Parts: sequence; structure tokens; C-alpha cells
Amino acid sequence: MAPPAQSQRSSSPSQPSGKGEVSDLKSQLRQLAGSRAPGVDDSKRDLFKKVISYMTIGIDVSVVFGEMVMCSATSDIVLKKMCYLYVGNYAKVNPDLALLTINFLQRDCKDADPMIRGLALRSLCSLRVANLVEYLVGPLGLGLKDNSSYVRIVAVMGVLKLYHISASTCVDADFPQTLKHLMLNDSDTQVVANCLTALQEIWSAEASTSEEASREREALLSKPVVYYFLNRIREFSEWAQCLVLDLAAKYVPSDNNEIFDIMNLLEDRLQHANGAVVLATIKLFLQLTLSMADVHQQVYERIKAPLLTLVSSGSPEQSYAVLSHLHLLVMRAPYIFSSDYKHFYCQYNEPSYVKKLKLEMLTAVANESNTYEIVTELCEYAANVDIPIARESIRAVGKIALQQYDVNAIVDRLLQFLEMEKDYVTAEALVLVKDLLRKYPQWSQDCIAVVGNISSKNVQEPKAKAALIWMLGEYSQEMHDAPYILESLIENWDEEHSAGVRLHLLTAVMKCFFKRPPETQKALGAALAAGLADFHQDVHDRALFYYRVLQHNVSVAERVVNPPKQAVSVFADTQSSEIKDRIFDEFNSLSVVYQKPSYMFTDKEHRGPFEFSDELGNLSIGAESAAGTVVPAHRVEANDKDLLLSTSEKEEIRGPSNNGSAYSAPSYDGSAVSAASQALSELTILNPSVPGLTPQSNLAIDDLLGLGLPEIPSPAPAPSPPLLTLNSKAVLDPGTFQQKWRQLPISLSQVYS
Amino acid sequence: MLQCIFLLSDSGEVMLEKQLTGHRVDRSICDWFWEQAISQGDSFKLQPVIASPTHYLFQVVREGITFLACTQVEMPPLMAIEFLCRVADVLSDYLGGLNEDVIKDNFVIVYELLDEMIDNGFPLTTEPNILREMIAQPNIVSKVLSVVTGNSSNVSETLPGATASCVPWRTSDPKYANNEVYVDLVEEMDATINRDGVLVKCEIYGEVQVNSHLSGLPDLTLSFANPSILDDVRFHPCVRFRPWESHQILSFVPPDGQFKLMSYRVKKLKSTPIYVKPQLTSDAGTCRVNVMVGIRNDPGKTIDSITIQFKLPPCILSADLTSNHGTVNILTNKTCSWSIGRIPKDKAPSMSGTFVLETGLERLHVFPTFQVSFRIMGVALSGLQIDKLDLKNLPNRPYKGFRALTRAGEFEVRS
Repeated sequence: MAPPAQSQRSSSPSQPSGKGEVSDLKSQLRQLAGSRAPGVDDSKRDLFKKVISYMTIGIDVSVVFGEMVMCSATSDIVLKKMCYLYVGNYAKVNPDLALLTINFLQRDCKDADPMIRGLALRSLCSLRVANLVEYLVGPLGLGLKDNSSYVRIVAVMGVLKLYHISASTCVDADFPQTLKHLMLNDSDTQVVANCLTALQEIWSAEASTSEEASREREALLSKPVVYYFLNRIREFSEWAQCLVLDLAAKYVPSDNNEIFDIMNLLEDRLQHANGAVVLATIKLFLQLTLSMADVHQQVYERIKAPLLTLVSSGSPEQSYAVLSHLHLLVMRAPYIFSSDYKHFYCQYNEPSYVKKLKLEMLTAVANESNTYEIVTELCEYAANVDIPIARESIRAVGKIALQQYDVNAIVDRLLQFLEMEKDYVTAEALVLVKDLLRKYPQWSQDCIAVVGNISSKNVQEPKAKAALIWMLGEYSQEMHDAPYILESLIENWDEEHSAGVRLHLLTAVMKCFFKRPPETQKALGAALAAGLADFHQDVHDRALFYYRVLQHNVSVAERVVNPPKQAVSVFADTQSSEIKDRIFDEFNSLSVVYQKPSYMFTDKEHRGPFEFSDELGNLSIGAESAAGTVVPAHRVEANDKDLLLSTSEKEEIRGPSNNGSAYSAPSYDGSAVSAASQALSELTILNPSVPGLTPQSNLAIDDLLGLGLPEIPSPAPAPSPPLLTLNSKAVLDPGTFQQKWRQLPISLSQVYS
Repeated sequence: MLQCIFLLSDSGEVMLEKQLTGHRVDRSICDWFWEQAISQGDSFKLQPVIASPTHYLFQVVREGITFLACTQVEMPPLMAIEFLCRVADVLSDYLGGLNEDVIKDNFVIVYELLDEMIDNGFPLTTEPNILREMIAQPNIVSKVLSVVTGNSSNVSETLPGATASCVPWRTSDPKYANNEVYVDLVEEMDATINRDGVLVKCEIYGEVQVNSHLSGLPDLTLSFANPSILDDVRFHPCVRFRPWESHQILSFVPPDGQFKLMSYRVKKLKSTPIYVKPQLTSDAGTCRVNVMVGIRNDPGKTIDSITIQFKLPPCILSADLTSNHGTVNILTNKTCSWSIGRIPKDKAPSMSGTFVLETGLERLHVFPTFQVSFRIMGVALSGLQIDKLDLKNLPNRPYKGFRALTRAGEFEVRS
């Protein structure tokens, strides 16, 4: 709350260093203060300008407060304005000196010129010094009755300012009732709009303590008041229109006819030049029709064109804000936008956050009729200079492939990516091919032929490497070199820094062993030895587990590690539909831009400036840092305790992450997990001989396996078999479970980082 | 509700600070913001809406100046951004352009404007006409006037009549010796041509700009010969909705001076006036480039100011490009610009040359996108035609002028 301190900004040579100049100004002002010589205003004006410019660049000029006030006796309006500005800036820290200004401000409030009256009143209310409120009431009361609308506009806002300084003074002076009268009777629409703003704020704040206020707040949303505003909406300024639309969005119409009346009345607002008005109207329309499915659809059709125009017509900043809202709508009702897919094509010059939104929308609107065009377009982005976007577009192709039935052409495209010989393209494509194979095993022949040609040396990214290794293990029958590639990878065990990759390697070599034992035996031995010696707990444990299982019975081991698999039908969505609905309810607000419901970021708002700085910082990075990956360890632990609870709000807070996507879902070893479920019966028998599964270990992988052991009280999330098939009866919904699963404190989190 | 507005120079210096509510926003937020901007490479790449540890920030960048607004409460983001854009427009209109110096020289006017544009965090008036009546523009005329009359105040003596007028966008009663009104159709063609030379997207964004200098309170009607081609329209608040809905006629009382009456979009155009055909073939560490440009669909008027720009991919070490018409420049930031001007009658302009790729690269994997700009005077490529403009409520016959112009917007050709 202190005025900008001098030290905050290192003073450059062009800026005055402060002290000397300020005291110079002080003496000059003092000389001018009493002078009535002609031309004195001009020299005053120069000095004032200097003072204000010092203030602007952050030099503390509060020491000249007294002199400034003395000089303020002038008829020059620019001088007055500068003086008001100065006083407004420093009064709060100099409450005693501020008293000096009251006098001349009060005098100005009675000036003949309405502009000066208005300005003086505005400045008077902007002093915000608590012990001066008694001087405010009189001028404000007069201001509200002033015959110039300009003064009334200022006075209404002044009442709100007074309320924030001293609520009781404001209420005692009965200002809210005066405002209410003005709101319903004043001829000037800006006065009316300001009254609405002020009353909404005052009565919302009072409602908790005063019954009357909460009644009044209800009354604002009553039919006569809302219609009074709506009928006059065209007379309001564009900003006031936003306010009225916002009020109307809170109003609950009694029947459908009323809804249609309101929509007919406001339809032309969709063609307003001001984007804020258009968006507020859209919000109102969407809210009104929520209960009427067919009309809701028509609303979508109706608002499509205005939204698309807003995106293409405004500045990049405006387009972004509109695009975020469009994104929300597209995600809710992709089929409505499926013929407009060309609007989501990326332009070369667009910033990457815009491209990213557009890519997501392109993915969402893809359907049978437009897939070919969209995929063709996306493939062009793969050669984009912007590498993150190139990656993102390859992922988008994969996502489309996973949501379509006819993936013939897409598979060809993906395979072409693999042949592009660009590291990051290959990496992304590998991950996609893996996901694709999990859903469409029938494509394995084509894919494997191409994947087989990729040299594992060219694949460095852990995610891609893991995908390649998974395919080597899964399709070792079809890939001639599989055992040998795995062997060479195992030779470089120590150089493999990602634990996730090492885990995959273990599993892959096991699978390979079951299919081609003679060729793999050596590699398997080396892998198990390396795994047992691994410093990473998970890797070590898995190696030990495999070792023991093999020791026990090879055919059981095969059923555990490499059971026949079902194709994955649906990859879990990362954002639950409940959250999406919440965001939708908050249309035309910041929530949409952040893709998070407001309670996730505003609740922490008033806790103090820095308590929540970390979390908010993460929010700001938005799409880049998924909430799930940044959760600090202690929070995860805390959360473990309520793992078995159904969705509580706390879970949701950390739940959604907007970069999650289907791709991270299978990054932990799917085969091991599914093996666990399918081999539970064996495990129960095996239990005494499997010390790697002792319940005291709290590693997640063990927890999961341990679940099947009837004699151990299960500390792990959810009933085990259903969670893997993600059946609908699970205690946790699949999305939440996946979130939890990812947040468990295991090494696998490295995969995401 | 906005709490504070800052204006930052392109070096991150706070040029202006306007606190709007009782919750003072500390200036250190700008330092935080600037660090973010620097870590992103440049402030343009930063998202327009960001959450800082303490506030939500909205930023708009114009001519190197960052308009930064802070809030701590939920509000419509577009409202904040739209408002900042208006502030930028009004300032640039008032000061005759935007740059660091002009803002520092006129900071008092900027404060005065902000004071009238927003009160207690709620936008008030952003209508340039009204503001101009409250705060005089610092132009040469007023400077001369102040010297002559000795009245150095840049604030007009009277309050604007329009604040109480039923036509808030119009000054109460302007008087002109010569009544004139000009209507311009200004269109921008956005097109994307993909790697296979297929026109994947082509649409026109157009504006009807009116410059009116008419006395009194005139009532205008503008009609088009073919309004049905318009896909979506947006209007200045002065346009009456009903006549448009029933007969596609624009009926309005115009603001004084220059304003945007309407903007529209025309989708799904079938062809572009010119073609640009890039060919890239790479082999053994070099890449041969050939770009041909010519007229595809003669619009009937000269196409001029044709320029082709593209950014060389980072993997290119050097480029050697020549053209048979116009000049080719390669700028330091690896942007290559070929200015053609007009297409000559006797030959088709072409540019050719070679890129040398980074050692180790056999072929080019990242392909440049060619951005085309051109201008055609006298034609609205969407085909929109003004039928007639009627003026009522005027003492004498005014002069009416019509013009049209099409230029390339986001016109890109991928290779």
C-alpha cells in the first residue's frame, strides 16, 4: 500500500535521482503558491507536470504535498486535474495533509462548471482516507441531486467508493435507497447503469448481515427491474449493456415464452461491434436455454457465425479471448462446428497458444466427413518451424485416429511421419502408433513393418523409447530383430536414465522371452541381473518379481506378464464432465480462459498475496504444466488418505490437467497392470513365496498387486479388477482414478516430467 | 472490475500508472510481468490473460507499448481486453500514433482520458467523439489556437452535449460549410493454399468505413445490390436493427468523422486474384527453390504492392536468391522478402536460387510458408456492391463519395 518506492527501479541516467530535484521543485512551488502574477498558471503547469512525471516514474514526491495544495487555488482546469491526480495518489499515506485538500475540493464541488464539480467530487471520493468520510456525505448528497448528468454519474460511483471506505456511513446516509430511486427514475442511462453497479455491489456485501439488503438484492433480479433494463438496453453505452446482460443472465424466467421474449429482444446484440457485448449476449442465451435441448441447439447454430467473425476480425488479444470461449463450445458440441473446421486452421503468424487451442478444436470437430481434410491439414503442420506445434499436430492426428472408426488413411499418414527422419516427429509418431495398436491390433502388420525399420539409436525421448520397447516386446514374433535390439538396449542399461524406460525394457524382454526363448534367454538374464542391481526401487522390485515368478513356474509367469489382451476401446478423458459443466456455467469469465472452474483459483484469492503464489504460478503457465505433475509430495500423501472417498472437491482441485490427453494414460506399463488383474488367482496362491509383494511396501505397483491378497487390508485405491477395465461401477469415476493413479508417489512420474 | 492500468514501454519501464480502486496495486507487479515477458522471448508471445501470484493480468500490445490491466476478481476477460484495445485506439487517435515519446510528452492528456474512460474500474465512455469534446486533442491546430487566443487550457469549456443526447455517439450539433460523406469498402482476403497447391480456405473480412462531415442530425440509408452474399455482419451501435433484419438496409444517424459502420465476412470464395507457386527440391545438402507468381483471376484493376515474404527455416545456412522482376532482400532475422510491385505484362515474375543446408542434413524437412501481400484499388473482391446512399434531414445536397479497396490479409502459401 505504500507509494511506489524509489528503490524499486534502478534509476537510469535520464531519470532524476530524486532528492535534489524534488526539494528544488518544493521551493519553486512555494514561490508560486502565493503569486497572482499573470502567466503564473503556465509556470505552475510546468512544475505540476514535472511533479506528476516524477510520480509516474516512481519517485516519491509526497514531500511537496503541502505546496501542491497551496498551489491548487486556480481556475485552470488542467492544473486542477493534475492536482487531483496528485492528491489522489498521496492522500492515503498522508491522511493529515489530505485534510488540507478537503477545503478546496469541497469548494470545487460547488463550482458553476459541472465538469469541475464532477472532477472535484470524483477526487474527493478517491482520497479514501477513513477519517475524512464525514466530509464526503454532504457533497455526495448534493451530487446525486445535481442537474448535470455528468456530476450524477460521478456521484453514484462516489457512493460506492464511500461504501468501501466506510460502509456504515454510506448506509446511515441512506444512499442505497437514493441510488435505487435514481436507478429507476433517472433519465441518463449512464447514471442508471452506475446505480446498478453500485447497488449490486453494496447489497451483495450487505446481504450477509442485513435481511433488508438481501431482499433488495433479490429485488434487483425481479421481473419488473430486469425488464426495465432490458427494454432500454439499446440506450445504454456498450459497457453498460454488458452489465445489463450480466444481470439478465442471473434472472430466472418463469416460463418458456418469457425466454423467447428475452431472446427476441436481444437478438440484435449479437451483431454489436463490441465483442464484450456479443459474448455477454451469448452467455445469456446459453443460460436461458439450458433446459430446452432443441432450442439450445438452435442457439449454438445462431451464435456460431458471430463468434467466428469475432475471432477473425479483432486484434490477436481479442481473438484469443473469443477463441477460448469458442473452444469451450466446440468441446461441448463438436458436431455443430464440424462444417466450420476450416476456421480452426492455423495461420503461420499466430502465436502458439492460439495454434494450440485451434489444434484441439480441429481434433474435436473431426468426423467421418471432414477427417480427410483435417488430417491433411494437420500433416502440413508437422513440417512447421514451431516444434511444439509440430508435435502437437502429430498428437492431434493420433487423437483423431483414436476417435474414428475408419482409420485406414490416418495410419498411412502416421507411418509417413515415421519416415520423415526428424527426431521429434519420429518420437511423437512412435507414441501414437503404440496407442493405435492398443486400440486397433488389426493394424499391427502394417505398423510393425515400418517400426521395424526405425533404429533405436535415433529414438532418445523416454516416452518414445518406452513406446518402441513396448512394441518390440508385444510384437517380438513379427519383428525379426526384436530380441537383438532388446539385447543391445540392455547392454546400455546403465546409460538409460529414465526408470520408466527400464521398466518397459524389463517387461518387453520378458514378453520376448515367452515368444522366442532361445534367442532371448541371454538378454533376459542380463536384464534381470541389471534390474536387480538397479538403484531404483520400482525397477528393482519388478525385476525381483519377474525373477521369482519365473522361478516358480514359467507358464504362470507368461500368464502374468503376457496374457492375451483386449483392445482398449476408449481412452479416459482427463477432464471430468462435471468440471466441464462448471466451466460452461461460468461462460464469459476467466474460468474459460484458464479452462478451470473459478473456485479452483478464486477461492484462494483472499488468503493473502503470497500464500498461494506457487499454485497460482502454475495456473498461469496453464496448458504447459499439468496440475497433476506439479503436485508437491506432501499433498499427494495427504490425499492418499481419502483415496477411497468418492469425488470430493479436494480431489477435483488437483484433478483436471489440460495437457493430460490420452497419451499419458498408457505410459505406465499397461501390460504389468493388466497382468496383475488377470493373474490374481495365481497370485493369491503365490503370495507366501513372493516377498516382493509384502504389504509394508507402500509403492503403488505393489499396492496394486497386493490388492488381490485377501488377507491383507488393502490400502490401495478402489477395487482392483474393475479399475483396470474401468467399469462404470467403480467407486471413483475413471477420470478421477486415472488422476489419482498418476499422482501416486512412484518413480513413474518422471515419465511425465 | 479492473483495479489498475499500467502502460509499459518496450523496455519494460512503467510510463504511466492509473489506480482505479481503493485496492492499490503495487508497481512490483510490472516487474513480475516483465520477467515473464522476457522469459517468453518477447511480450507478444505472452498470453493476453495471465495469472500472476497476486492478480490476473490482461495485456494488449500496440506498437511496442504494453497496456497492462490488473484485477483480483472474476470478470469477463473479453471486456477487459476489449477495453484496453479501445484505450489503445483512443490514445493513438488522440496523439497521432503511439510510441514511448508521444506518451511521455502527453502523459497529462493520457491521465485525463483514462479518468473519463473508466471510473472505479468500470468502463464509462469510450466513444471517441464524446471524449474529444471533453478533452481537446493536442494537435497543431489547438496549439496554434492557444497561442493566438492565449487560452492554454486543453479542456473544452463546456460539457459535451452528447452525454445527455439520445444519440450518444454524435456530437450535439456540428456545422459544416461543405457537407460530405465518403463510404469506403475495405476488404481483406485471407487465404491458405496448401502444399499440394489446393486452395483450402479463402474468405474475405470486410469493413464499411464511413467518413461523414454532415451538419445537424442527418439520417442515412445505405443499401447493397447483393446483401445476400454476406455471411455474418456486425454493426456500429448507430445502425438500426429492424430495417436490416427485414430489408437488409443500413439505416443510421452517423457519428461525426471517421467510423466503422459495419464489418462483415464472406466465406468460401472460389479463387484468388494471383497465384504463387513455390517449388522446393532438395538433394545432397542443397535445396533448389523456384517461386512463380502470376495473375490467376484478373480483377479488372491493377494489382499492386505485391510482396512475397517468408522466413527461412533455421536449418538453412545460406541462401542465394535472384529474381527476374522486382528485388529480393534477405534480412538479418532470416526473413526473405521479394517485392514485386506490379506484375509486368510481358513476363511472369519468378524467383529462384538455392539454399545451403546445415551439414549433415540431406534434405529439407521444415518448409517455409510464403506470405503474400497485395493491394487492389477500386475493387471489392467479395463482389459486394453499394446500391445507393440516401440522406435525409439535410439542408443542402451533400457530396457523396464511394471507394473500394481489397488487400491481402493472412494470405499464405505453404510449400
